[in-house]
Amino acid sequence: MIQFEHVSFTYPNAARPALSDISLELPEGELILVIGPSGAGKSTLLRCINGLAPHFSGGVLAGNIRVGEFNPVQATPQVMSRHVGFVFQDPEAQFVMDRVEDEIAFALENAAIAPDEMRVRVEETLDLLDLTPLRDRPLSTLSGGERQRVAIAAVLALRPRILVLDEPTSQLDPKSAEDVLTALVRLNMDLGLTILVAEHRLERVLPYVDQILYLPADGSAPLLDEPRAVLAQIDLAPPLVRLGKALGWQPLPLTIKEGLRFSRRQGKNGQGGNGKMGSGRPSAVTPNEGAPFVAAHNLHAAYGGEEVLHGVSLEVHPQEIVALMGRNGSGKTTLLKCLVGLVRPAQGEVRVGGRSIAGREVADICRELAYLPQDPNSLLFAETVHEELAITLQNHGLMAKRRGEPLPEYATDLLDTLGMARHATSYPRDLSAGERQRAALAAVTVTQPRALLLDEPTRGLDYAAKHQLADLLKGWRAAGMAIVVVTHDVELAAEIADRVVLMSQGEIIAQGEPAQVLGASPLFAPQVAKLFPDSGWLTVEDALQAA
Amino acid sequence: MVDLAAAMRQRSLSLVIYALTTLLGVAAFLYPFWLPAAAQASGSGMAHAADAPFMVSVLVGLCFAVLLLEVQGQGMSAKVVALLGILVAMNATLRFVEAAIPGPGGFSPIFLLIVLGGYVFGARFGFLLGALTLFVSSILTGGMGPWLPYQMFTAGWTGMAAPLCRPLVRGLRAEGKAGEVVVLAAYGGLWGLIFGVVINIWFWPFVSGPAGQYWEPGMSALEGLRRYAVFYVISSLAWDAMRAAGNVALIGVMGLPMLRILRRFRDRFTFEYTPAPAHAAPGAASAPAIAAGRSA
Amino acid sequence: MRAATPSTPARRGTLHAGAWALWLLAAASALAVTRNPIYLALVLAWVAVVWQAAKAVPGLMDAERAVPLSPLRFGLFVVVVSAIFNGLMVHIGDIVLLRLPESWPLIGGAITLEALVYGALNGLVLTGLYAAFLLVNQVMPIREMVRLAPRAYYAVAIVISIAVAFVPTTLRQYRQIREAQAVRGRRVQGLRSWLPLALPLLTGGIERALQLAEAMTARGFAGTSTPGHDGWTQAGLVAGLALAAGGLLLRLVWGAGTLGLIVAVAGAVWVAGRRHPQTVYRPAPWRAQEWLVAAGAAWTAAFFLLPLPGLERSSLFFYPYPRLTLPGFSLWIGVSTWGLLAPALLLLRQALITRDA
Repeated sequence: MIQFEHVSFTYPNAARPALSDISLELPEGELILVIGPSGAGKSTLLRCINGLAPHFSGGVLAGNIRVGEFNPVQATPQVMSRHVGFVFQDPEAQFVMDRVEDEIAFALENAAIAPDEMRVRVEETLDLLDLTPLRDRPLSTLSGGERQRVAIAAVLALRPRILVLDEPTSQLDPKSAEDVLTALVRLNMDLGLTILVAEHRLERVLPYVDQILYLPADGSAPLLDEPRAVLAQIDLAPPLVRLGKALGWQPLPLTIKEGLRFSRRQGKNGQGGNGKMGSGRPSAVTPNEGAPFVAAHNLHAAYGGEEVLHGVSLEVHPQEIVALMGRNGSGKTTLLKCLVGLVRPAQGEVRVGGRSIAGREVADICRELAYLPQDPNSLLFAETVHEELAITLQNHGLMAKRRGEPLPEYATDLLDTLGMARHATSYPRDLSAGERQRAALAAVTVTQPRALLLDEPTRGLDYAAKHQLADLLKGWRAAGMAIVVVTHDVELAAEIADRVVLMSQGEIIAQGEPAQVLGASPLFAPQVAKLFPDSGWLTVEDALQAA
Repeated sequence: MVDLAAAMRQRSLSLVIYALTTLLGVAAFLYPFWLPAAAQASGSGMAHAADAPFMVSVLVGLCFAVLLLEVQGQGMSAKVVALLGILVAMNATLRFVEAAIPGPGGFSPIFLLIVLGGYVFGARFGFLLGALTLFVSSILTGGMGPWLPYQMFTAGWTGMAAPLCRPLVRGLRAEGKAGEVVVLAAYGGLWGLIFGVVINIWFWPFVSGPAGQYWEPGMSALEGLRRYAVFYVISSLAWDAMRAAGNVALIGVMGLPMLRILRRFRDRFTFEYTPAPAHAAPGAASAPAIAAGRSA
Repeated sequence: MRAATPSTPARRGTLHAGAWALWLLAAASALAVTRNPIYLALVLAWVAVVWQAAKAVPGLMDAERAVPLSPLRFGLFVVVVSAIFNGLMVHIGDIVLLRLPESWPLIGGAITLEALVYGALNGLVLTGLYAAFLLVNQVMPIREMVRLAPRAYYAVAIVISIAVAFVPTTLRQYRQIREAQAVRGRRVQGLRSWLPLALPLLTGGIERALQLAEAMTARGFAGTSTPGHDGWTQAGLVAGLALAAGGLLLRLVWGAGTLGLIVAVAGAVWVAGRRHPQTVYRPAPWRAQEWLVAAGAAWTAAFFLLPLPGLERSSLFFYPYPRLTLPGFSLWIGVSTWGLLAPALLLLRQALITRDA
């Protein structure tokens, strides 16, 4: 169905090719997962399938590509749009119209489908993706997951035989991501649509995937095989698979159900849990002693006219990482904004470093309490990473406003710690997602704050970047920082948190050690905790140490 | 080289169309000054003097339609359409913010992007950015009225003429330097005033109707202009001076960094793939090279 | 086989956008042509009636768009200001109210009742135009307006549609950036402190434009880059423009020149439109009621604009100078203004139906 013969592709002005000598053949009607470290050319490969590369980007393409009876390079993306549907990463940036129904009709209008036929196709597409109740809604009122489903519908209306998705869930929360992935699985099962999806959240799709295409970063030949065979050869894998590989489980489990068969046996061998909560995991620090650095007491706050926090109290101590979790709209972000003064509570008090923040400017509070917003792009605007740090320092009056003024030593040290020293003179917007985030992190922490708040820091990051972030935060904790992370990422929370705080409907409903809070929750339990219930283990490392 | 000849012909026809629409537009805008004298000379009745504002509006509308057709008729790639859409959205949002927090006098932040966009991406882009910004923001803020074509035309011209600064900047060897911003700021200031002058001409016949001039013996175009000048200075100069000063200040402060951003992305917006004909044989292994086509 | 296309009032305006456009055109041309207070009063009254009828239909006046200034307040202000202005600037007319010293520039001289009256009439015209445009802006959804564009302007229509869709996103982006910059110590002082807001907004916008362009290309949007404009259309446009320019030079704006340009533009738009094969999803139906509105508009416009045989048009051109007289009145023209009432009938019917339902 899709054939690549010795395909190489180089972007204009690029030093090295994005794809070099790729040959592969993808079968029809299967759900194919495309994975690989960032920068391995996943997006480029996908874009070759409908001719976006090279038609859209320019660049040099060598070799031969065939999609069905077409050569996408010669056919142009316009013609290919009828055979290959393409969905992009950012749900905010792929819509032309302002309403659901009109958006779905857009591609049909371009293809000059007759109005009667068009009506039929829009209706059936709405049904296919469960969008009928939303048909009249303005797109700006939809959630990220709903938007991605509209984006899928918008390309499916042309009835393509192939659907290509480039990291469609990386900007979504887990619930929305699951909706989108479930929809994909159903389209593949029910319609026999060939689906190629690049995706970081392997654990959710693995059970349904027919093949995995792995693109290595070093430009060596890609791997294409059934999931177990590929996963056995690569490091990139969800915790369940990593554990299975380390413990030699055969055949490699892809679902918790499959994994439990092995883990129960393991547990019976007496190596694992002894039935006591939390005992499996050594407590790294003993927090809650001494004065908290950040303390919120009985906060009530409104956002957009509605009260979203109802009497929340939270204390964060130095040398502590608190993970703040909960559904969308549970008030997590509002709580963070209250702590830095971006949202002023209607009632209650916030103290930072023992002083109340009432009446203090945000700029003043943030010097000792850094805040990293969800989208690092909203922070970055200077010409170089170096300059980003200088601007923050100048804002706080910590550095003279002169051109060419050198950064103080602690600032360059910070860049070293973050692994950003070699990017100091790069244009921040040209960096990868992970690097951009670290640049933003450097820009807010260059004032040497004693506490740090992060809002969804792992969104859009791949495994490698996530690990780097986790190590960094652990290092800062050891140096005495108080850290609060708002996250949906249970594996991150399991790995770094000393305390997990669970919020719902503007209230804190549970808090305590991760093993207690996460291990018991069906929604938030990490894979390892599901495999070894009552063991108190949360991460692969916990389990391997005990085993 | 038939293609080349055709392209040349197309280009020169385009230039003729730009020139004629501009000429007609200016003539139509200025009708309150020459029409009374003309009608008097030709001895045509007052019926014509009364029809005139209506016919002139029709003429302005038609010129605008022609210019719009010509400007978008060539090379509106998906990239240009998307970029225009989003820049217009940004400008319309600025108008929103402005409507909520009124700035001093006629100050409006929209000219910053119109001038810079036209300067970097070319006359056609500038025209569309200017005209469509006014259109979209007026339907969103409810400020739509019969004066809209005039506003669109004038804002369009602002963006369209911005590339005229290029030779001056090149002459000063000031690209990317402070001199470039000085030229653009002066240009923005100038158009801040012109915008006000033109929009006020629309109101002029209502304020001092054509009859006032028609019936006054010895009334000439010059006298009409003199009266308008007094009217303008009294009623709007202070207001429009704010807009001009605002443009100068905004371009002065934001110009250089914004130009850097626009230029950084300009290449990505103009890269288009054109396959080399030699490789167009179906089924053959294709290894065409890139061509950088200017699409804006 | 025809698919049934029921059009629910919730989804679209009660009336085809094209019918509203024709109504607006007729009202605006009537207002632009006459200064006769009787006709002006009639047209203004009918616009007000249609306005009230539109308000009677629940959910029709688009709540998402703000009314900047009510037509009534606009009218009061403009009528008074125009009267004073004209009175001060124009010193002819027989009924002198008072005299300002001749030495005062421009405003010095006789202040006459005629000039005041004429100024007030001009104010009425402006009020009428404002009200008519505002009304149509309120009742016609933006997307319907965009769909009115001929296919030759498809690319422009898409630009407008994108812009409208991205305004909320841009606002949200703006707030996000403002917060993000606040937490890195930005303080509002002077114009320079807006750079940290403007630059990320611009960069983010351009990045998003690139992604959007890619998404559009992947859904078959080809733009107008292929094969473009042909020489004949251009030549036709040039001829039309030259004709109009000639007309202007011959001081005959209202003559053959403009007509030639209209023909040339219509032809060019038609030819250019044929190169764009797009179709329209759920095109708004053009039913009997739209014909009714169109006929009403044409009826009004014809009497105000065309030199119909046997019609005494001089009453249209009311001039108070040199001495204020009673305006003339032609029954035919007066009756022709009723054509503007057609939308009110349909809207009232609509209001009754929805109330019963």
